[in-house]
Amino acid sequence: MSSRAQRRPGELAFAVALLALSLWLFSEAYKISGFSGLSTPGIFPMLATGLMVVCSLVILLKALAMTPAGGGLRRFLADITPLRQTVMVVLVGLYILAMPYLGFLAASGVFLFVSIQFLWRRSPWLTALVSLAGLAAIHVVFSLVFQVVLPKGTLLQGLF
Amino acid sequence: MLESFGYLAISWFDPWLLMLTAAGTLAGIYVGAIPGLSVTMAVSILISFTFKWSVNDALALIAGVYVGGVYGGSRTAILLNIPGAPSAIATALDGYPMAKRGEAGEAVGLTTVMSVFGGFVGIAALALFAPMLADFALMFTSRDYLLLAMIGILLVGTLSGESFAKGVFAGALGVLIGMVGLDPMTAEGRFTFDTITLMGGIPYVVAMIGFFGVAEAFVQLHQLDLPAVKQKIDRVIPRLADVRRYFRVAMRASGIGTVIGALPGTGGDIAALLAYDDAKRATKNPEVPFGEGAKEGLVAPEAANNAAVGGAFVPMLTLGIPGDAVTAVIIGALFIHGLKPGPLLLVETPHLFWFTVGNLALANIFLLIFGLTGIRIFTKIVECPKAILLPLIIILSAVGSYAIQNNPVDIYWMLLFGVFGYFLKVYGFQVGPVILGVILGPMMDSNYRRAMIGARNDPATFIWDFLSHPISCVLLIAFLALLISQTPLGRMAREAWRGRRAQGRGAG
Repeated sequence: MSSRAQRRPGELAFAVALLALSLWLFSEAYKISGFSGLSTPGIFPMLATGLMVVCSLVILLKALAMTPAGGGLRRFLADITPLRQTVMVVLVGLYILAMPYLGFLAASGVFLFVSIQFLWRRSPWLTALVSLAGLAAIHVVFSLVFQVVLPKGTLLQGLF
Repeated sequence: MLESFGYLAISWFDPWLLMLTAAGTLAGIYVGAIPGLSVTMAVSILISFTFKWSVNDALALIAGVYVGGVYGGSRTAILLNIPGAPSAIATALDGYPMAKRGEAGEAVGLTTVMSVFGGFVGIAALALFAPMLADFALMFTSRDYLLLAMIGILLVGTLSGESFAKGVFAGALGVLIGMVGLDPMTAEGRFTFDTITLMGGIPYVVAMIGFFGVAEAFVQLHQLDLPAVKQKIDRVIPRLADVRRYFRVAMRASGIGTVIGALPGTGGDIAALLAYDDAKRATKNPEVPFGEGAKEGLVAPEAANNAAVGGAFVPMLTLGIPGDAVTAVIIGALFIHGLKPGPLLLVETPHLFWFTVGNLALANIFLLIFGLTGIRIFTKIVECPKAILLPLIIILSAVGSYAIQNNPVDIYWMLLFGVFGYFLKVYGFQVGPVILGVILGPMMDSNYRRAMIGARNDPATFIWDFLSHPISCVLLIAFLALLISQTPLGRMAREAWRGRRAQGRGAG
């Protein structure tokens, strides 16, 4: 590339984080069997993590050579982790944490309703109808066609 | 021979398998067409649901989804100018201008016929060359497998994503994920941090669902409200004269597609772009210029990406090395069903090979049927708002992750990989190499150690083995050439060559 590319917001921090992660994983790989032999269980993990360290260094150097994104944390929040993504990640987190208690069907129903309402912003009745239809389809396909065992909740005594 | 034919026709005469293949193909067309739903995503979620089925049932469904999905991307590329899958990016360049001129139906029809044509070329190559390659592969040693796997990761690292370092990083990360758990040779823990949860390793299907399903869903949230453009559909069945006229282009493109598909790690996406480029150069006087609705520009990528399907099965079934991300996922499915893809697969379970060939052919026939019908309903379904679709994908991903071993911890992994994959994608990393790494990592590890033990842990003997055996030596040269071409030295050599060629042209 002839012209200096523009860095994405947070790209430098991500590159640093990748390097840190790679270094830590390399040290963990070293702990497996160190340099005690050439066919030990630790050799290949060390090669893989070593490669990660080298690559993340290159990625970091390339990111440093780019023009800074500017805008700081605010641009990062707007471009990389906007409200929509953040709320969805939190919702998915709550959903999978609630699943063992509420059971699959109840947890999925609530998750579908809340997330579709959040993303679609139509009348709650329409959302409820759509989520119910989606839930019914999933239930029919998985319980009947694929015969998947779905988690039952402890809270509702397996009612759902 | 007769026996092979019998295996080939298993799914042709069994109504249940016939139905599964048809259902898979139809579902694949829609999955491929809906932007944000990828074939890899669909296949990885499907695998977790079908692992209790018999192998034939599961493979019939998966083959259908794969074939349908690779084609499906073209529909939205033509009708909405949004490639439903990366392999349809080139299709949009000329397909959408055609649709704007009111020739949407014709474009869809021609695409369907040429996709099926490409598909059959790929399948023919699979049926012809895979048995030969498998015979040859019986001579391969652990060294050669190590090199092949390394070439695969390197290829996918070089050809996808925005930088080589990012591609290789993703591949190495995948290798690492595949390494977690007890070492299969010595039962020592690797990256287990003395926890029981990690001793069994991280199920690769969960990693696939996380990286391809959840991460993609989070990325798609960025483009929630893209407006859909409606098109008028007229004639769908293509003119015979058109099919005849573009036969040569389709044949060339299918050849390119098959070869690119068969290279470990590279699939339909790259095949389609290369074929488009080739058609552009080979067609001296197109009726309509490329980029403004040239039919050659539509035929070439579509024939190529469907030909790549058959091609991608070649290294997967004969060497156990996936030809692209989807076949990497399918290898995971074969492992779950207790099968070991590799040169012995054709010797030990020939029925499986011929069944797959027959099945892919069947899926292509269904593709022709479904491709030329139901286009009006199609445009309605594809317009389903992403705001509804994405939460559903997340639920499917959660069910899929849980279904593999009924372990809630796997769903946490799914979310973790999903969030991590989101950041990787946002910063220009490809997740394809990660999945390839997860599948190839353990294989590379055991082959490396076998080769090293074979050399009695002596590095000099180890290196000499690579140089003194012809197969290993050729593969080593290929690996090094590929590696060097990515370094500044290789770039300089390329530029010097290009400069000399330009000079030569100027003089002539």
